[in-house]
Amino acid sequence: MAKKIEFTSYKQMPIRPMTVGSMLWNLTGSWRNVRPLYDFKTSPCILGCPAGENIQRYIYLATDGRYEEAWRTIMETNPMPAVTGRVCFHPCMTKCTRADYDEAVNINAIERSLGDMGLDNPAWLPPVAASKKERIAVAGGGPAGLTCAFYLARRGYPVTLFERDEALGGVLRWGIPAYRLPNDVLDRVVASITGAGPIEVRGGVTVGSDVALEELEREYDAVFLGLGLMRSRSLGVEGEELGGVEPGLDFLRRSGGGAEAERGGRVIVVGGGNTAMDVARCALRAGSEVTVVYRRTRGEMPAIAEEIEEAEREGVRFHYLAAPAELVRRQGKLAAVILQKMQLGEPDESGRRRPVPVEGETFELAVDRIYTAIGEQADLDGIEGHVEAKWGLIRANDGTGATNRAKIFAGGDVVTGAASVVEAVAAGRKAAERIERMLCGEPEPEALEPVSVGIEEMNLEYFTHSKQTAVPRIPVAEAARGYAEIKTGFAPGQLETEAARCFSCGVCNYCDNCWIFCPDVAIDRRENEYEINYDYCKGCLVCVQECPRNALSVREEGK
Amino acid sequence: MKKVIMGNHAVSYGVRASEAQVISAYPITPQTHVVELLSEMCASGEIDARFIKVESEHSAMAACVGASAAGARAFTATSSQGLLLMHEMLHWAVGARLPIVLANINRAVGPPWSIWTDQNDSLSQRDVGWLQIYCESNQETQDTIPQAFKIAEQLQLPVMLVLDAFFLSHTYEIVDIIEKEQVRRFLPPYRPEIKIDVDDQHSFGNLAGPEHYMELRYMIQEAMEKAIEVVERVDREFEQVFGRRYGLIDPYRCDDAEIILVTSGTVASTTRKVIDDLRDEGVKAGSLKIRVFRPFPFEQVFEVLSRARKVAVIDRNISFGAHGIFFQEVKSALYGRSDVPVIGFIAGLGGRDITPKVVREMADRAIEGTATERYINWTGVKI
Repeated sequence: MAKKIEFTSYKQMPIRPMTVGSMLWNLTGSWRNVRPLYDFKTSPCILGCPAGENIQRYIYLATDGRYEEAWRTIMETNPMPAVTGRVCFHPCMTKCTRADYDEAVNINAIERSLGDMGLDNPAWLPPVAASKKERIAVAGGGPAGLTCAFYLARRGYPVTLFERDEALGGVLRWGIPAYRLPNDVLDRVVASITGAGPIEVRGGVTVGSDVALEELEREYDAVFLGLGLMRSRSLGVEGEELGGVEPGLDFLRRSGGGAEAERGGRVIVVGGGNTAMDVARCALRAGSEVTVVYRRTRGEMPAIAEEIEEAEREGVRFHYLAAPAELVRRQGKLAAVILQKMQLGEPDESGRRRPVPVEGETFELAVDRIYTAIGEQADLDGIEGHVEAKWGLIRANDGTGATNRAKIFAGGDVVTGAASVVEAVAAGRKAAERIERMLCGEPEPEALEPVSVGIEEMNLEYFTHSKQTAVPRIPVAEAARGYAEIKTGFAPGQLETEAARCFSCGVCNYCDNCWIFCPDVAIDRRENEYEINYDYCKGCLVCVQECPRNALSVREEGK
Repeated sequence: MKKVIMGNHAVSYGVRASEAQVISAYPITPQTHVVELLSEMCASGEIDARFIKVESEHSAMAACVGASAAGARAFTATSSQGLLLMHEMLHWAVGARLPIVLANINRAVGPPWSIWTDQNDSLSQRDVGWLQIYCESNQETQDTIPQAFKIAEQLQLPVMLVLDAFFLSHTYEIVDIIEKEQVRRFLPPYRPEIKIDVDDQHSFGNLAGPEHYMELRYMIQEAMEKAIEVVERVDREFEQVFGRRYGLIDPYRCDDAEIILVTSGTVASTTRKVIDDLRDEGVKAGSLKIRVFRPFPFEQVFEVLSRARKVAVIDRNISFGAHGIFFQEVKSALYGRSDVPVIGFIAGLGGRDITPKVVREMADRAIEGTATERYINWTGVKI
């Protein structure tokens, strides 16, 4: 501590009131009754992400040009950003503070750019060798299974990955058309995951029939079931088995990758979910005239809004408030469908208004083929009975994937029913973490309630309005003709432009405002860190006020 | 080179010749031409200065404070309400010992709104510690700017030039324009011993406890007392280069005068005409212009006035509840050393014209004894 200087004559003093020694003796911090403190919150986008990706962090790293670190940040919670960056329904963007200010940050496209960089830089992911003795069986090579296998393998656990098809990917391969997720991207993602650690892939093996679940339970230390939904629900209309009516998923399986499938004619797709949109758009690409028939209205459609818009843009027609009631055949061939007009009644358990028939009101539509997309069910042959299931889905803990069998875990659509890729990824990772804790005998971590931040807590003076950077896309006419990927990804420079729009809500991004504004020079700036010197901080809270992003909080002294 | 220019532009030419480095100002009638021309000079490169636009006079002076503390020669100009808004920063410039030069165009303070001249704006800044020099002509105005910088920089105290609104600011006169090449022979570049310097870090304007504050105030007064001698020396040095000098005070026909009229600003010129008339009539009259009001030249004023039989002070200002402000200072200069009666007149507030007739009336009242020492003698008020 500097000593206070006492002059004995004015002649010793400088003409100007200035320090000649140090003022550090003057501990102005003793005047303080409230203290500011760095107190980072959880950005709303992160709370919106089912996988809990540290979105603020990787966008910050991207703005700093630290792409590898940004990619690693995503990979901590999601091993397939190149996939989710293309197909995710991005609830993060709905939560984005900028959505309340002008337009949400295009997090989805940023994730895709970083994910693609990861694929282009295999050196970023050097493989991990087996280091643990416990072996894990993962059933199902879709997003949940791949994710679970990845995180366990990265921790050194040998994983055997069973997949009923020859190729891995599950719903990513047969359920998502190539114009949204190109085959080569999926192949590279799958290869990056299976090459990242000790994963043995056994394709063409169906768990439950080709290999018994009990056997896996016996021979492995833990089993994860990420089986997905394999069976389409039937229409429940008389004569649907007589031809002309087929599960949409089967059609997708044939055509989704761009392979030649039945072409032309008049096609009706029944349903309002993402599968219905994919089927409709693939049929359109096969030269058919396509109409989607949905029993509620557009507002109740479970499909991602963007997918509905794309379908509309490409020329798919929609009949809302209608349901197939009867099939009309001529010379044994499907010729038309009679549709029952519906209206919305009371809300059902999902909160959506239930469709009820309008008595006596029907109409006929000529049709050559009908594809059903009114929901999928799990194929639990050989599973149900050993593992507890309900309504055709495995019963498992939401946060850990634990089932009624100690060594068996489950996650993804087979637990939740038709959901999303990112939710499957989240389930796969959480199960992997739970499995590791089980094998190590570690207790469950205490769940902390995250503190978030809203637009009203931001200092908007520091931001200016700007448009979201849209992902470049090929023209609609071209898109509707083929299977080329519609969104071509950010052009050079767009990633930086869009990342710079992030408010970094509740988390410091080293803008220096606190350091610049502190009237007492009581903030110490270090490499990516600030520290408040409470010996001198008077508690004026200017730093808190001038932080654009609410990364500081206030605490009363003595409380 | 001689030019016919307005008083405001005389300020600008003086600043140009003095090579000010930072100019920050906010426009206000009747000062606007000063900074208008300076901004053009900055834009054209005629003067190599940074022109800082601000949102208020308070900020204008704050910018000058910062610039001056960093070692730059800083200038601003304002008037009336603007000067009053600067008040806090005027104190700062003094306490921080910064040699800023300010030109204030005397304008009456509102309400009621007025744009015309009187001295209450500058005189209400009497006690902040700025030197105050009241100018009478455009030539004097221009010449006083480099003098002011030199005085300020030697004393490390700020200097305020004061000009009457319109009577001086907007009046065109022939001025012998001074150029920077000549001024350099008189005014050296500003190189302060102490300034804000990133390589030699100090905290400026920081806290001083009761054990040190008084000493710093003592030093300001010490500098003010020294200022009398510095102003005179600088005036002589100016004369050596330019052949013109102005003095702390300017006595006119005072040597044998029995009555002396004390004036300031443009009223001084008007009064000289009246003195000539009185002399023609056989009255032994003289006038004394007080040019430097702060520091007040007590000795010099005493020297001249103590020889008269009667003194009349014309104040274009009033300290409400007391008297005219020059009147008080003059009385104080004579106090205890001279019995000469001092009669105070208040005239010309809010720009009311002080014509030769008005001055003559005041002189007559003083000579006849109808104006007294004991009361404020209002001139021309419609009672």
